[in-house]
Amino acid sequence: MGMLNNLADLIKVKKDKMTILVLGLNNSGKSTIVNHFKKSNEQSAIMVPTVGFLVEQFYTMGVSIKAMDMSGATRYRNLWEHQFKNCQGIIYVIDSSDRMRFVVVKDELDIVLQHPDLCNRTVPILFYGNKSDLEDSLSNVKIAAALGLDNIKDKPWHICSSNAISGEGLDEGVQWLVQQIRFAVLSHRKGSKSKNNAKSNK
Amino acid sequence: MATALTSNWLHVDIGEETPLLLSTLSSCMTLSDVQCDGYMRLLAADISLEEDDEPSAKLKVFRGLKLKQEQSLPGIPTAIESLYIDETEPKTPVIAVAIAESVLFYRHMKPYFKYTVPALDAEELELEVWRKLPVMKAETHDELLQLLKDVDHAKLSRKTQRLLQLSGEERESFIETHKDSPVGRVGNIVAMCCLKRVSSSPNPPSHLVLATDTGRVFVLEPQGFNLVYQARTCSYETAVPSLISVHGTYETDFCIVVGTRNGGVYLLRKANNEGQEILKMSTALTGLLLLPVDQTIVVTTMEQRYLCYSKRGKLLYQVQLEAQPVCILPLMLAHLGLTLVAVALQGGVVKFFLQRYLVDEFVLPETVAAMLYGRMGMEDHVLTLTTQSGEMFIKILRRVTRFETDVVAAAAAANKSATKSQRIADVSILDKPKKSSIFVEQAAREKLKAKASYGSFQVELWRLRHTAARATIDAINSSESTISGDLTHAPVKLSAEVCGSGPAFRLYLTVQNLSTFKMASNLVVLLHADRRHYTMSQSMARLPSVLPGIPLRVDFEVMAVLDPLDKLPPGSLTPDNSQIRVMLLKTGQSKPLIAAAVAMPQSEAAF
Repeated sequence: MGMLNNLADLIKVKKDKMTILVLGLNNSGKSTIVNHFKKSNEQSAIMVPTVGFLVEQFYTMGVSIKAMDMSGATRYRNLWEHQFKNCQGIIYVIDSSDRMRFVVVKDELDIVLQHPDLCNRTVPILFYGNKSDLEDSLSNVKIAAALGLDNIKDKPWHICSSNAISGEGLDEGVQWLVQQIRFAVLSHRKGSKSKNNAKSNK
Repeated sequence: MATALTSNWLHVDIGEETPLLLSTLSSCMTLSDVQCDGYMRLLAADISLEEDDEPSAKLKVFRGLKLKQEQSLPGIPTAIESLYIDETEPKTPVIAVAIAESVLFYRHMKPYFKYTVPALDAEELELEVWRKLPVMKAETHDELLQLLKDVDHAKLSRKTQRLLQLSGEERESFIETHKDSPVGRVGNIVAMCCLKRVSSSPNPPSHLVLATDTGRVFVLEPQGFNLVYQARTCSYETAVPSLISVHGTYETDFCIVVGTRNGGVYLLRKANNEGQEILKMSTALTGLLLLPVDQTIVVTTMEQRYLCYSKRGKLLYQVQLEAQPVCILPLMLAHLGLTLVAVALQGGVVKFFLQRYLVDEFVLPETVAAMLYGRMGMEDHVLTLTTQSGEMFIKILRRVTRFETDVVAAAAAANKSATKSQRIADVSILDKPKKSSIFVEQAAREKLKAKASYGSFQVELWRLRHTAARATIDAINSSESTISGDLTHAPVKLSAEVCGSGPAFRLYLTVQNLSTFKMASNLVVLLHADRRHYTMSQSMARLPSVLPGIPLRVDFEVMAVLDPLDKLPPGSLTPDNSQIRVMLLKTGQSKPLIAAAVAMPQSEAAF
């Protein structure tokens, strides 16, 4: 069985399933980003503020992704933490033109990172500096500096600017995230496998 | 209490490149969705009072941290409000700017309407003078104007006031140009706020409440620009409003609290059109709020105090502040179900009170001149503060914040400021000498008829004692039996026996619980005897819990009092009163469970 699995990993015929959490403040463009990844016949034309959360399924880069599109409204942000346990990756969407709320973005990010369900796991985090087309939007470097992303040592992270309406920059980010999750799964499997081997040797 | 480690407020970094400068007042700031795109923008009047140029004001619109639009105003505004005037979709807010005697309405940031408050009728004498002035010879004018000088200056119209200041030569031309203009007094608007028409929808159409310096309060309906409510602050003219706060809805009921320049606070209701004085401060008010939650009135005064009154004018609590309060702001935290009051003090401290308890505070480098709280941009809980030099600070309330009154800390603080509060108490006593006319009359009557009033007092006192004694006897007699009759507790039986022949006796009491399952606990036995006949070393005993079926025995030592000379019992002792009363009480209950009298045998003479 182990050999078969290895083979499947190598030629990637096995369909991977990943659960990704999409977080971010209200009006940052989370649902629009998720909408972009859906099939063109399933996409919705008008976006309305999400209530609670939505579960969307889409297929990209050879993996089936289950995206938990969480609501960013203040009153629903306490729902985020319930999904931390069973997520493999996080997409954190930032409205790069809303300078005033960067403190809130940072505060919410710190709360997420300090949560016991996440702080000891290496969950990759992808940051989207969304709405990069707006005139007062900030660059990736400035956002990373404002949020103090350099202080995140124990988790792989990546930031890319995006425009959820045109779809610019979205694929690049997801590509990175999928790679990271694959890598994490592989290393985890290897780890458990070596453990199993050790057991059988005994 | 806010933890020292993490503040409840996130400080928005404004960035160095463009320091936002804004010199304004709390009343001249508002939040509005001017562009109807769901993004709340900050609108503020920037008032420039440079020494070399004329004072001027600009209406500035900020989107987030960026100044997006500005527009000159035709005067110095006293208040700015954003309101919805109708139910039509999309809902467009209208900006009302109160300048002097008129309110300017802007829609989509373009002038839309100008409303001027109605003039008061002029004095008969003044009208008469203006009728005569243009037709009479210049020489007689002095006499006519002399008549006007006797009238209270504040009661004259503006053009008459100006005329009285002019010298003889200028007068002619002034009269010539102004002879046909109406004579009437127009009050300047000193305060303005919104009053919702109904409370149902999230952005209901509102009316405007205007207070003028002539002491009038109007409610303006901004669709047809009619005055739907007119009132006077109080019956006399000198009460000039300076602060107003409104609560309620126009359709159902509302009340308006008006603070005047000389420290009075008046309450106006929908039903009557004259204010009722609820309190009077000896010093000027710096802030006034009618809190919607508990309907209390919160004021800050120049005496460095933060006070809370009921609507009837009763002082509910007061807090001594360490510096002069500058401005005050209510923070409705609907998600927490709280209403905090922010008080900005001289020196830059901003304190947050939940009722009388300080729940949070922070310090800014400079004294805060104006504060505004509400939804700004996409964030619900934004506090905007501008300092006296015009620097703007933006703070956002953290989502995870909980404001709790730390009772222990509050008590400690109270102890620490015990001396201070002592001072507060003293001052409040001095503030209000409560000598009603009844009190004064009574004091005079007592002086006149001292003997009679003393007598009647004594009679009443004895009557009271008599009533109390009778009630006691009734209570004892009603439970005169050996088995308790109270059904709520376990039934208890009491029996007694007296051993000894005197003068030392021993009284054995047996308490038995007759119930099958209930425990009789918290019982006390009390013995009572005439002190002239018997002495007891111990007259009371707390009993342990009495279990069903097991009798409890307690004993007391009783000594019969004997005459030291003839070693015989005193003469007053008769077989009828040689008794000891035994009462079985339950703690916490005033009526005894059982009251019994134990007849004592005749004591032997001691040898």
